[in-house]
Amino acid sequence: MATRLARDVYVIGVGMHRFNNERLAAAAMADVAGMQALDDAGIGFPEVGALYNGYLGGGLTSGVGIAKEFGLTGIPVTHVENASATGSCAFGEAVHAVAGGRVDVAMALGFDDMNRMGGLGRSGGRRMGAEDVMLPAAFFAMWATRRMHDVGTTAETFAAIAAKNWNHARANPLAQRRADHEVTIDEVLGSTMISYPHTSMMACAAGGGAAAAIVATREVAERLSSGRPLVRVTASQQRSETYTDGHVFLGAVIGPAQMTRDTAGDAYEQAGVGPDDLDLVQVHDAFPVEELVYYELLGICGDGEGDRLVAEGATRLGGRIPFSTDGGLTARGHPGGPTGLAQIHETTLQLRHEAGARQVQRARTGLCHMAGAGSVCVVHILQRTEG
Amino acid sequence: MAAIQVPTDPRLFRLAEGDETRPRLLGSHAPESGLSFWPRRLRCPVTRSAVTDIDLSPEGVLYAWTFLYVPRMGSISFGDTGGYGVGQIDLPEGVRIQAPLLGTTDDWQIGSPMGLTTFPVGRDDDGNDLVTFRFEAVR
Repeated sequence: MATRLARDVYVIGVGMHRFNNERLAAAAMADVAGMQALDDAGIGFPEVGALYNGYLGGGLTSGVGIAKEFGLTGIPVTHVENASATGSCAFGEAVHAVAGGRVDVAMALGFDDMNRMGGLGRSGGRRMGAEDVMLPAAFFAMWATRRMHDVGTTAETFAAIAAKNWNHARANPLAQRRADHEVTIDEVLGSTMISYPHTSMMACAAGGGAAAAIVATREVAERLSSGRPLVRVTASQQRSETYTDGHVFLGAVIGPAQMTRDTAGDAYEQAGVGPDDLDLVQVHDAFPVEELVYYELLGICGDGEGDRLVAEGATRLGGRIPFSTDGGLTARGHPGGPTGLAQIHETTLQLRHEAGARQVQRARTGLCHMAGAGSVCVVHILQRTEG
Repeated sequence: MAAIQVPTDPRLFRLAEGDETRPRLLGSHAPESGLSFWPRRLRCPVTRSAVTDIDLSPEGVLYAWTFLYVPRMGSISFGDTGGYGVGQIDLPEGVRIQAPLLGTTDDWQIGSPMGLTTFPVGRDDDGNDLVTFRFEAVR
């Protein structure tokens, strides 16, 4: 049973370096994101009691090296790695460090450049066998073809989701992909086919970037709020897979889809809210079929009803329940380590009503979902409270 | 004399033997839970009970497929075919396998029968033909 966090935890500061494909030094981007988060919180690094660094590339000691730039304060610095969910897990560790009483203030910092990493589909020394086939593009394309068979989903629906996220990113100056025009369904469908039915404009934007979040106790958050609304973390849940019919052990990039339903159920229970209470959602939209399926697995609609949500525009900005408001992995980008923390950055801005042109009106509750290769699912729920 | 064929990973599959016409994937079966798995497991992941080694059925049903428009799979080149197919195949033991597919998109229909086969991917240091596995439509 998912019980309430032992101590209330609040996001007191967020920072982010623009996601990009410019091969910038990850350490420099991390410094920008971390210092921004400290400035946003209104504290100095000596007030941080623990630092959780999330990165996939960069070498074993990158996180400690970056921490030395913030200051030699002697705090515990921990490297967290959980594939695409790395930043979400680093944030979760920071949340639980505060909730569990280890520290009163903790920082999560994600940085990476996906272009400098080896891809999936390789393991150990095996480089010649059929087990090497499972690029994420193939895995999620098979989710798509099966859904087309079962539900009648069309390529146009996948393209509509991708176009939505491209267009959300047009209002996000920190996004990697910022089109200079309204992206259309036809444009997405007409881009290069990479793995049927997915085209290049449906695939997430791999690149570099950094993002950070600082969490603290209620006492610290209230001391620093200066009348600004507080953002409370009301759920922090993580799961690995359980056995499902048709279980795939070798090559299932993120494990069974059921993990999302289970992890979200835990999070709703912990937060004491349900899908109808959400005002906005960020998900692991590496390919649009994922976002479509997550509408259902998160309980936003019934099974097989996600296509209708797309047709109605319910998940666009201005719709009933906007998804991927900053452009998502599709267009905000997916560097690896910082991706989950970019979701926390976006949701925090939205709940403070500081999201500018992409602001969701009267946003009070947001959900962040990430999946990671291997078998990782993380769900956080953030809620606005008045300071 | 024809070169000897050698599996790329003998922990995952073996070549056809005797009168068999197709290779076999090497799985595990847990009598207590009745579940089977591939690749082989140390114990049943559901009940933690003992497992025994089994050879899985070489034919199944296509659950999902795609075609990847990239010329290489790991170090394997697909030349001028423009890419390669990948599928998920459900075997009678209740095991779902992900593997490359032989053929073109016109050959693959969800729900249609598929059979295991092998294809060459290079040579080992002894000059033997290395082969890995894939599925093909059964006519």
